[in-house]
Amino acid sequence: MLKIIRDKLPELLTAWARGARVLVPRERGGTRVFLPWEGEGELALGQGNTLEPPKDLFFPRTETMYRYQVQGKDASLAEEPAADARQVLVGVRSCDAKSLAIMDDAFLTKGYVDEFYRQRRENTRVIALACTEASPTCFCTAFGIDPGRAEGVDVQMWPVEGGYLLEAVTEAGQELLRQAGDLLAEEGDAQPPAAAVPPLQVDVSGVTEKLQRMFEHPYWTAVSRKCLGCGACTYLCPTCYCFDIQGENQGDSGYKFRCWDSCMFSEYTRMAGGHNPRPSKKERLRNRFLHKLQYFPERYGKFACVGCGRCLDRCPVNVDITRVIREVKEVTL
Amino acid sequence: MKGIQEQMRARARELLAQGAVQMVIGWEKGTFWYLSPPAFVTDPEDCDRLVWDEFCTNNLAKYLLDYKHTGDRIALFVKGCDARGIVRLLQDNQIDREKVYLIGIKCPGVKDGRQAAALGEARRGEVPLAEKCRYCTHPEPVLYDELLAGDAAAREAAPGEGRFAEVAKVEAMSPDERYAFWTAAYDRCLRCYACRNVCPACNCRECIFDRSQSGWCGKQMQRSENMFFAITRAMHVAGRCIECGECERVCPEGIPIMALNKKIIKDLNELFGEYEAGVDLEKMPPLGQYKLDDPEEFH
Amino acid sequence: MAEAARVNPLVPQVGRITRIIDETPDVKTFHVTTEAGKPFTPMPGQLAMLSLLDVGEAMFSITSQGLEHLELAIKKVGMLTDALHEAEPGQAVGIRGPYGNGFPVEELKGKDLLFIGGGIGLAPVRSLINYCIEHRQDYGHLWIIYGARSPADLCFKDDLFKNWPQVENCRVDVTVDKGDAEWKGHEGFVPAFVEELHPDPAGKVAITCGPPIMIKFVLQSMEKLGYKDEQIITTLEMRMKCGIGKCGRCNLGSCYVCLDGPVFTLAQLKQLPNEY
Repeated sequence: MLKIIRDKLPELLTAWARGARVLVPRERGGTRVFLPWEGEGELALGQGNTLEPPKDLFFPRTETMYRYQVQGKDASLAEEPAADARQVLVGVRSCDAKSLAIMDDAFLTKGYVDEFYRQRRENTRVIALACTEASPTCFCTAFGIDPGRAEGVDVQMWPVEGGYLLEAVTEAGQELLRQAGDLLAEEGDAQPPAAAVPPLQVDVSGVTEKLQRMFEHPYWTAVSRKCLGCGACTYLCPTCYCFDIQGENQGDSGYKFRCWDSCMFSEYTRMAGGHNPRPSKKERLRNRFLHKLQYFPERYGKFACVGCGRCLDRCPVNVDITRVIREVKEVTL
Repeated sequence: MKGIQEQMRARARELLAQGAVQMVIGWEKGTFWYLSPPAFVTDPEDCDRLVWDEFCTNNLAKYLLDYKHTGDRIALFVKGCDARGIVRLLQDNQIDREKVYLIGIKCPGVKDGRQAAALGEARRGEVPLAEKCRYCTHPEPVLYDELLAGDAAAREAAPGEGRFAEVAKVEAMSPDERYAFWTAAYDRCLRCYACRNVCPACNCRECIFDRSQSGWCGKQMQRSENMFFAITRAMHVAGRCIECGECERVCPEGIPIMALNKKIIKDLNELFGEYEAGVDLEKMPPLGQYKLDDPEEFH
Repeated sequence: MAEAARVNPLVPQVGRITRIIDETPDVKTFHVTTEAGKPFTPMPGQLAMLSLLDVGEAMFSITSQGLEHLELAIKKVGMLTDALHEAEPGQAVGIRGPYGNGFPVEELKGKDLLFIGGGIGLAPVRSLINYCIEHRQDYGHLWIIYGARSPADLCFKDDLFKNWPQVENCRVDVTVDKGDAEWKGHEGFVPAFVEELHPDPAGKVAITCGPPIMIKFVLQSMEKLGYKDEQIITTLEMRMKCGIGKCGRCNLGSCYVCLDGPVFTLAQLKQLPNEY
């Protein structure tokens, strides 16, 4: 196993930043988010998660798809250049690493490949950081996620006394560690520290099957009453991938972009003639939970929740997915 | 504060059992000790869910809009700021006074849940007042049908100074600094609309931000559109903001939304004379009325 | 090495409207083609994303196709469709597709087919009717029952009154909710008309599309007439943005209408949440 002392980590990031955009958790306006590393400043690699998940780096909040020109009856369009800049994402927790596998299912499988996502995904290396301390809102283990070792990443890091242990998982990861040169020292007998134990426990077994029989249940009316119908939960969720496509005109030209959208908003399903199949927050909240716990598992064979706890942490009215799971399992049909 | 909580449960039970109301809206214990989210009780046997503690932060007034088109009569527990929210909704003709039964609570001020989480339960006694309560001018409800008694007397209204301290800081900045301050804040805005959805002054049946096709505000999450949202929201609640601070509390990104609201309150006070929204049913907001001696400065 | 150029499924081709046919006061049929010819070759019941680049993009059913063009019959209901109705031949458009599953043309082979349409709901059904006419020997009797609010609101009048009645082993019955001075045909709502005509369910599959309220009552009528859920096919409409099962909004349970639909049997629909 290789080790880097804490003070040398910025140098390693700088080395990686020579060939790629390096993104790492840093402080911004009192919160912690993935920000580009530009050679100096503080890192925020302590306990817990970033406020926003790293999904923005694969699936930006807003991205231009193509530009167009319209003159009279004529029109032309030009695709945006490929998003082929290399990225190295450092400090991803196991929950967020798992969310990438979920996003991959949504964007890359079932007949169509989303090119915008694919380009960024293929050009990004992921370096995970194990959790040795959990936050009160963490429940990743409920979904079989190991907070001490992430899946599907290139390099795994563990925080240890005075620095970090690193282990390459993929060839690309080995290449990244080679670039570190003598910043890394061999620590032959070093053992990864014990993984954190998330304090929130919830048993998700059987919840999909139960939900399959609960679409019309009055539970959804009761659980949705306090919901404000805002999109905070969906925008902070590492596995929510819904988007909208819209255009912006600037004289004779303009551009089409896609941006994050939320199933909690009325406009999301409202049709041109005014009909809305999900007219109130009851239907919308139900859809959100069913999507995470029933529809996605039915379609892709896994839950669309990784137990990162962001929705629970930031929901203005404490809509708590772990409580929903427990209550759903207790509801009598 | 046990006294208040027992009275709450008893009154809720009575009102539901008598059929005087069909629902009681209060607070209950949430996932963690520092969370007391809104609770909706319809069964008299279910009233022991209701709690009153220092984390009963949510302003409940806005929920009445969800039941506007039902025949239900609803009882609502109101702190000072909840009651001001009700006055706002009544002034906007959003709710029918007859369909609402208000149970007042003299509010000692609620505590900051986020700081509570950071301090831990062992230090519960040290959790500071929520930002929204530090400058509260009306801890006692301004409107109610009954007022819960008890020794939990409301603390005295906070002194006026400090109320505009954040505004003064921003006003002291140079235009470039101010631009940097607000763009940095609103570049973070996710456009989740939690601030709008929790606000008792934001009660349009159809909000322009839910009509992206209208072309007023693009759905792009970028500076120009975020700023358009920020300013439009702030201007739209001008003269109607009751300073309950819920917008700022619910913002997942911690944007200092109240500084914007308070700047407008301060300006309105200077232009049209002192006015506090949601305090007096009979006193219309400065921008909701016309007076011959209004200042004419629309150039 | 540069990889083979990938086609981005969210980026449209630029094409043109070559012909516009006024069907009714609020429905027009648009012929769309590109410089390279037909934008793509859809199967009956499939969908296309059509856009005026500076206005918007929406999903429409493809009502028919020629060798060089696609036909989309579009009702004026919102901003994009208003703008399309203002357009003239030659107007450039964006088009991408085809999307969706389409009608199960293989499974329908050898069956008698009953088409029940209302208003603009004939548009997707027409793609299948024309396909069956082109492959006449593969399908049994074709029976088209169609209605609209008024005689003026009848879509595809040439097909209804000239082309289809001449097809061998094909019957067309038309009704309007309310006739006018010149209307000599049937008056009444589609569901009641279907019951009056009482098409025998034996060996038949019914394909129905129309306004939701019509579908609701047609389904009740079909049940009365003895049709089983497996014998009834319909197509759904939802708000769509991507068309490729990614953007999320057109889900019915774990199905995406843009990808797994829009064509469902009633038996399939009954397995899905009632949320359309």
